[in-house]
Amino acid sequence: MTRVAIERLTKRFDDTLAVDALDLEIGDHEFVSLLGPSGCGKTTTLRCIAGFEEPTSGRIAFDGVDVVDRFPEERNIGMVFQNYALFPHMTVRENLAFGLEMRGVASAEIERRTRRALEVVQLGDFGHRYPRQLSGGQQQRVALARAIVIEPAILLLDEPLANLDAKLREEMRFFIRGLQQEVGITTVYVTHDQGEAMVMSDRIVVMFEGVADQIGPPQEIYNRPATRRVASFIGQSNFVAAEVVAREDPDHVRLTTPLGPMRARFSGETPPGAKFDLVLRPEAVAVTDDAGGDNTFRGRLEERYFLGNQLACRLRTEDGELMSLVAPPWLAAEVGAELVGHFAADRTWLVAR
Amino acid sequence: MRVRSRLGHAAYGGFVVLVYAFLLTPLVIVVVASFNSGNYLTFPPEGFSIRWYAKFFDSDAFMGSLFYSLQLAALCTLFATVLGTGIALYTVRFAGRLREQIRLLVLLPLLLPEILTAIALLFFYYNIEDVFDWAGTSVGFRNSFWGLLIGHVLVTLPFVFLSISAALHNFDRSLEEAARSLGADRYVTFRRITLPIIKPGIISGALLAFIISFDLFNISLLLKGIGTATLPIQLFDYVRWDFDPTAAAVSTVSILVTVAVLVIVQRLVGLQSLRF
Amino acid sequence: MSTATRPARAGAWLLAAPALGLLTAFLVLPYLNMVVMSFRTPSTSNVFAPGFTIANYVDVLGDEDLYYLKILWETLSLGFVTTLICLVLGFPLAYHLARSRSRWSALLYAFVLSPLLVGVVVRCYGWIIILANNEGLINSSLRQLGWIETYIPLMYNWVGVTIGLVHIFLPFMILPITAAIQSIDPRLEEAARSLGASRLTAIRRTVLPLAVPGIQAGSILVFVLTISSYVIPVLLGGFNVVLMPTLVVQQLLDAMLWPFGAALAFVLAIAGTVVVWLYLVLTNRLIRGVTG
Repeated sequence: MTRVAIERLTKRFDDTLAVDALDLEIGDHEFVSLLGPSGCGKTTTLRCIAGFEEPTSGRIAFDGVDVVDRFPEERNIGMVFQNYALFPHMTVRENLAFGLEMRGVASAEIERRTRRALEVVQLGDFGHRYPRQLSGGQQQRVALARAIVIEPAILLLDEPLANLDAKLREEMRFFIRGLQQEVGITTVYVTHDQGEAMVMSDRIVVMFEGVADQIGPPQEIYNRPATRRVASFIGQSNFVAAEVVAREDPDHVRLTTPLGPMRARFSGETPPGAKFDLVLRPEAVAVTDDAGGDNTFRGRLEERYFLGNQLACRLRTEDGELMSLVAPPWLAAEVGAELVGHFAADRTWLVAR
Repeated sequence: MRVRSRLGHAAYGGFVVLVYAFLLTPLVIVVVASFNSGNYLTFPPEGFSIRWYAKFFDSDAFMGSLFYSLQLAALCTLFATVLGTGIALYTVRFAGRLREQIRLLVLLPLLLPEILTAIALLFFYYNIEDVFDWAGTSVGFRNSFWGLLIGHVLVTLPFVFLSISAALHNFDRSLEEAARSLGADRYVTFRRITLPIIKPGIISGALLAFIISFDLFNISLLLKGIGTATLPIQLFDYVRWDFDPTAAAVSTVSILVTVAVLVIVQRLVGLQSLRF
Repeated sequence: MSTATRPARAGAWLLAAPALGLLTAFLVLPYLNMVVMSFRTPSTSNVFAPGFTIANYVDVLGDEDLYYLKILWETLSLGFVTTLICLVLGFPLAYHLARSRSRWSALLYAFVLSPLLVGVVVRCYGWIIILANNEGLINSSLRQLGWIETYIPLMYNWVGVTIGLVHIFLPFMILPITAAIQSIDPRLEEAARSLGASRLTAIRRTVLPLAVPGIQAGSILVFVLTISSYVIPVLLGGFNVVLMPTLVVQQLLDAMLWPFGAALAFVLAIAGTVVVWLYLVLTNRLIRGVTG
């Protein structure tokens, strides 16, 4: 399909800098998510790729060809909008046929392709209906079919699942990802839901205030966050102030922290005097009996919530902070108990403070 | 407490019903009176008769004014809709810093009393005739069909504008973006997506223009040609001195014209989608 | 703005040109011309004579009987009275219409709108049938019932004119207030009642203050329409009720004293504008006090 190259993309609205010198290369067949809180610039970036916004500066190329001067209708894109944007005065079939008509496809072929597209999204009998007669989930699938039936060079999706209820959202994640892999189309997906991004993407671009803090596959984003913002936004994190004492090997370092000496995994640069936060995911911290082992710390159980398959606990540690961890549901300790926590060095990472 | 509030509720309900009745009664009475077989407007009517309608259809003056009004309204609707669509599109989509000023200008005929506008046009037509005469040609707006038409278009234009602007404001821009993303250029998008969806706004504007033009009085009074009359003017002259129910028949026909136009539009577009 | 719309702006001017041209040539210029006309010398042999003067305004304002100022005052007073009555009748109806949720609400809207779709002459004629002094509905029914001997004068006087004005302009009061009330969350009233307020108090304290913009719009509309009304006073008031618009039209069509008519029209327009402006200033102070 198509490779997309974005070089130093910048977009300014009056005095707001929406996108700040973004660099991104998207490969053939790749599914890339733009993830971040509202206002981070992800939708603006998508709209620049589509051609509905004009970049203030920077280059956008499809397969090496610069497209910034082209109108949206000349870029051969397929776009799914957050509110679906189905044409209310056309039937489902006419909605699907529209893009094909624009491309001058013969009507017999249009008929064939729209019928197949409807079957792919499991709406085979709905061709004659109007959008207002469909449920939210059905409308969403029609919007998807309409974008795909034209076999575009790239597929752009702007928070397409935001208006669906939780269960439907989960189903549709797998559906969209499955469809994308089957068709093999290069896809850019905008979302503020990190669960969604993690499940669906080959790579995730995590953005804050117009800047991409990190670009990488879901595992890397989760296990080796590049900045504190990324660590906070993706999943839950505990942060412990840390100073690097020495580097043990290319992958591990020794630290001093308010909770005592620790060992952590980190392969990044550790210049002398640099301050870090030790990133501990709650699922990486466990309650232990052995108080003397490596990477242990003390704390008093302050909060305890029963979640069914686990306990969510918060310990007040010696530095006065609260540490979140998960414990098996049969843990006997009550609020106020003194506990010992422990984590494996390999399940940590460091971010700059 | 309950009793008092129920009484209060009844009083409120009764009051509201009375006001609704107040709004409708004169119209109902006119229609009923038009079928009165008696000579005067007695109530209850003496009997059922359509003689006053016969008198209406026999009257050259009334029929002439009816057709004149219909012609005028039809042309007024045409021009007001074309001009109104253009200026509405411009103000909503393309106008820059001057948008509010342009909106104000288009709404001026609505904000200014109709009679003042009529007077201004009367004077103006007279004065520019002088200018044209002096230049060697003779152009007559005064006492002419076109002069009157211009007045009607001016007064109905704001309504068309408001109706279409509202439709454009409520229009979801992402529909146009979707069409563009599917390969349609600006013009195709406008023709196949925007226009069909704002059609109810255009039609309700046109409808309003027709009805308003048909019923206009002040403008027609001052600008009409000698020997011509619109239906409201004809009716006004008649009613000043003569109370016979022919006037009721004329009034009822006038109401019917309005209703007929509404019904036609309902067939075409569906009244629920009309937004004033 | 996207690349998509920028080049269009140049050609877009064509969309606006016809309407703007019409408005400039046939609205702006004529009004300016009317101002000029009011300063021209009146003439007995033609609509106006050459030369300019302020005599017209002097005659209007300085007339020894203050005749024109009296008429102006009566016109403005009628405007006040009509607006007030429309407000009293219209607010409860607007509230009812705004809060109505049943299938009937479309019909109720039609009831309120329908008088507007019928011409002013037709509506006046309806009132003539009802109010006429000898043969009118009210009078002949009352006579038949034996309650009166001759008739109650309901037409060709201020009563008839006021009734006509209220009837014809009531929808213009109702519609803006309805729109304003519709945008007020009904839960505000519910909150007030949950705190102990009666239905009436809840409306008075939560709806009324927030509906003021609608009330302003409706009042201004009704007032301006009333003071510039020609047909209704003429048909329902005859020679007994003379208002400014009547005078103006007389000067234009009967007496052919156009400059004087223009001056009269402007005096009315300016007086009306001053009243509206004062009204806005006073009521805005009210709003600010309430909504901060």
